[in-house]
Amino acid sequence: MTEALLFKDIDEPGLATLDVYAKRGGYESLRKALASTPEDVLAQLEASGLRGRGGAGFAMGKKVSFLPKGTIDKYLVCNADESEPGTFKDRELMQKSPHMLIEGLIIASYAAGASRSFIYIRGEYVHQADVLDAALAEATAAGYIGENILGSGHSLSLVVHRGAGAYICGEETGLLDSLEGKRGNPRLKPPFPANQGLYQGPTLINNVETLATVPAIIRMGGEKYAELGTETSKGTKLVSVSGHVQRPGNYEIELGTPSREIIYGLAGGPPEGREVKCWFPGGSSSPVLKQEDLDLPYDFEAMAKAGSMLGSGAIIVVDDSTPILDVALKVAKFYRHESCGKCTPCREGTTWTVKMLERIDAGTATPMDIEIMASVQEHIIGNCLCVLGDAMAMPIGSMIAKFRDEFEEHIEAARIRNGLGAGALEPALATGVTG
Amino acid sequence: MPRPEAKTITFTIDGREVQAPENMMLVDAAKLGDVEIPVFCYEPKLGNPVGACRMCLVEIEGIPKLQTGCSTPVKDGMVVNTQSERVKIAQESVVEFLLVNHPLDCPVCDKGGECPLQDITFGWGPGKTRFVEEKRHFVKPLALSEKIAIDRERCILCYRCVRYSQEVAEDYQLVLLERGAHSYVSTFDGNPYEAPFSGNIVELCPVGALTSRDYRFRARPWDVEDSGSVCTLCAAQCNVSLTVRDERVLRVLARDHAEVDDGWLCDRGRFAYPSLGEDRITHPLIRDGGELRAVSWERALDEAATRLKRAGAQTGALVGGGATNEEGFLLGRLLREGLDSPNIDSRVAGTLPLELHRALGEPGLQAKVSDLEFAHAVLALECDLVPDAAILDLRLRKGVRRHGMKLVRASLADLLERPAELVAKLKEAGPADGASAEIVVLWGERLTTGPDGARAAQALLDLAGTLGIADTDNAGLLEIPAQSNGRGLREAGALPNAGPGLSSVDEDGLDARAIAQALSKGELSCLYLLGADPLTGAADELDRELWGRALANATTVISHAMFLTDAIREHADIVFPAGAYPEKEGTVVHPDGRIQRLRPAVAKPGESRAEWQVIADVTARVGLDLDVLTGGMASQQLFDAVPQYSGLTLEEIGGKGVRPQERATAVAS
Repeated sequence: MTEALLFKDIDEPGLATLDVYAKRGGYESLRKALASTPEDVLAQLEASGLRGRGGAGFAMGKKVSFLPKGTIDKYLVCNADESEPGTFKDRELMQKSPHMLIEGLIIASYAAGASRSFIYIRGEYVHQADVLDAALAEATAAGYIGENILGSGHSLSLVVHRGAGAYICGEETGLLDSLEGKRGNPRLKPPFPANQGLYQGPTLINNVETLATVPAIIRMGGEKYAELGTETSKGTKLVSVSGHVQRPGNYEIELGTPSREIIYGLAGGPPEGREVKCWFPGGSSSPVLKQEDLDLPYDFEAMAKAGSMLGSGAIIVVDDSTPILDVALKVAKFYRHESCGKCTPCREGTTWTVKMLERIDAGTATPMDIEIMASVQEHIIGNCLCVLGDAMAMPIGSMIAKFRDEFEEHIEAARIRNGLGAGALEPALATGVTG
Repeated sequence: MPRPEAKTITFTIDGREVQAPENMMLVDAAKLGDVEIPVFCYEPKLGNPVGACRMCLVEIEGIPKLQTGCSTPVKDGMVVNTQSERVKIAQESVVEFLLVNHPLDCPVCDKGGECPLQDITFGWGPGKTRFVEEKRHFVKPLALSEKIAIDRERCILCYRCVRYSQEVAEDYQLVLLERGAHSYVSTFDGNPYEAPFSGNIVELCPVGALTSRDYRFRARPWDVEDSGSVCTLCAAQCNVSLTVRDERVLRVLARDHAEVDDGWLCDRGRFAYPSLGEDRITHPLIRDGGELRAVSWERALDEAATRLKRAGAQTGALVGGGATNEEGFLLGRLLREGLDSPNIDSRVAGTLPLELHRALGEPGLQAKVSDLEFAHAVLALECDLVPDAAILDLRLRKGVRRHGMKLVRASLADLLERPAELVAKLKEAGPADGASAEIVVLWGERLTTGPDGARAAQALLDLAGTLGIADTDNAGLLEIPAQSNGRGLREAGALPNAGPGLSSVDEDGLDARAIAQALSKGELSCLYLLGADPLTGAADELDRELWGRALANATTVISHAMFLTDAIREHADIVFPAGAYPEKEGTVVHPDGRIQRLRPAVAKPGESRAEWQVIADVTARVGLDLDVLTGGMASQQLFDAVPQYSGLTLEEIGGKGVRPQERATAVAS
């Protein structure tokens, strides 16, 4: 493992203060960036090959370059609505190293030509928002935020905005609506935020980790950063490991590290005597992988190739003590609860899926219901307004595909438990009573 | 402001090459190729598409995911497939999803038989259900307002009503509460949805979730017939479709005329119909021993003729705003030719000098309704649209919201004392390149009715001159008359100083106010009221007192009336039952000059007869044959008498109306 970039000093006491952060080289990257032109900074970002750390994995430099050029008012929004089950990396970053985010955000705004910025932080992150507010006050007092930053001519305002607790507000257009004071519902795309985002203005939206990586890229130089990781997945990544592991937590890894090394090496693997049954490589919305996938390198390409995704980098490990039905129900219920209700397949599909899964447990399902459930997932995928529907349908679909036998066994066991099993039906048939 | 213009492109849909305007949304462009793409949430009148229902998913070559046809602008060379297996599965699945929580109570649902969800389920649905779980439940139906019931179980959450409230009516009352499948439509504060245009959501709803409480359970679509007409309850004259069952109007729907109402109706127009059928006068009445008693038509007509002949030139007539052009025209003939009396007026508060009437009605100065939407600026001068011409209020909102039109409100004092400021404010909105600004002045008739009426009219003409309105396309004046057919009655000659087509008259008659004064002084003896009630229609308290004296002092009051109001009950000597607009035939004139046609949807109640017929019968008994045996003959006489209507026929007016100034250019070119 190479040296950590984001978590290098993460446990340094007082890192959240400007004083300690500056002693560790904080805001030097900002000075360096402001001394060069925005075009040069953008070139560094593009050269770094940094891909968005929020889930979609889109090249960050390219995203910046999509913004229209010129003096038109542009916005930069940091998506800190970290709500994907299993994901808690941004929380630690913001709590312990808020200035790294603010510094990255200022540099990105310089490259993008944005003069107004926002950090949209999920409402439950009360402490982290307080930390950010304090850091923002320090950064403003030090002249890093405001008019004519460090004499560069670049000006930037920054507002920390607390959400009200909706997963959908982490979807970028839902986030924008919420930030504008509306009900947080996703918007139709196009127009994309780069053209018409916040208040109809061009808007760049980036995840906390993405922005927090920017100072390191500027410090090292884009090409140097690109040496880390693999051909298509550059750099380091924060991974939140949770579930059935002995040492859950956030780890910074170089992309391409074997998954087994993360789950077993860093996180200690499942408790003694248990086996990995399946694992979510990128949060609860990623299709599950099985034990045989543990030797895959942990990067964007390999995860996609295995039929899943790296997502937000949240590995959730499920061991063999847990029925797959419980996992499916937990996931489906989450997305049913968080569906905004705007588009039909997501709203109705998530509700229906939960009802079907509950019937399995109640013992009133038949194997035919598995077919229906699988087809419902297929009908959701790709047909929704945003990706929330897919976020349920993909993992549920993968569980049905990979653990079909277990679902069938569960159905049969539950039917017998409820007196509806094949054996229980025989007396009724014998007497000719049907229906 | 430049109106949208699009070049024509060619795209392919289901193997057919189709021409369409570039950037038209695919669901609309598909229709040009006779392809229907099903939709629920798409409704262009509500603004930008939202892509929420996902019903319109189609396959576009070169794009991996299915796209929503409602939000995809069509481009040259685009290849669209709506019939592939993938699209079929997507459409079936959306219908299946929509039916997951939609109760199948079609047999008792008002929407059944005219329901887009039924139609689309039939056309694009999977044909069977796989959903065996329990559907969601709400208490139902609830009163969303006094007029609208909401059934939240039937709601498919298409967002139409909410978007309407937020983006068209701008009353901001309707919202979606809760999330996911628990979402439901409600007012933000839980209070009833009270707004002047609330009823439009009933028509917008693609299922039976929002229903009219008046219409609820009154008919099924196969029990009724639709009849197109024009609402004359205010000057906006919206085009309506009347739902009729057993000679009763059960419902009023919009008939969508882009140059009149844009497809919306106000709540008065939509919900007032029950009151048009109740407590009506259904027989001719004559005052006998101080009481009004029903009599035969013969007796009522004879008595009216006798009294009119006796009064002769000492007769005055008032025409109410609900009268058709034909009625006003024929009454003018009765007065001027039959009785030799010039005293007829349709303006409650008095008339203007003829030259001002003519100048204000100059064809080159007249704006049309859509100009309000696309103008750079609109000056609203002494008009209060919601009571006066409600639906134009929505048009102004649309102009401001969608096209950045600048709305300036001003009063009579602003016009008389600070015209330069007004001009400056309006011109500011014009294009930056110095080209002339398109400005519409929307003015209420009351601007020209006070003591300063003539001065105000002149100031208005001066303002139009300064703004260069006559020389600018899409600019103009648009008057909101105080009465719904105010413009038509003037053109038909129901003015003391003008004959049909604002022609000069030999002798000026008394205007409304002067008629009242002459009656109270005994200089006139007979008053003929055609759908006019001078007490309820009085401009102010003084006017009301004056008319009180006039009515009390008149020897004879003859009235065409629908209801026994105080004025009629106490003062009328002869009453003819009058028709409500769903019973009438004839023409009216929209404020922008458009001649529109009323067509009877239901029979007249009791022994009522058409007004044109009654006037003709009375006139014959006075000794003048008007030569009017049918409503069509009355219209023809009017068209022959008014120069700008020359050559017009009822067929040409048809369902959409005709603006004489546009007709002139159409004939010339």
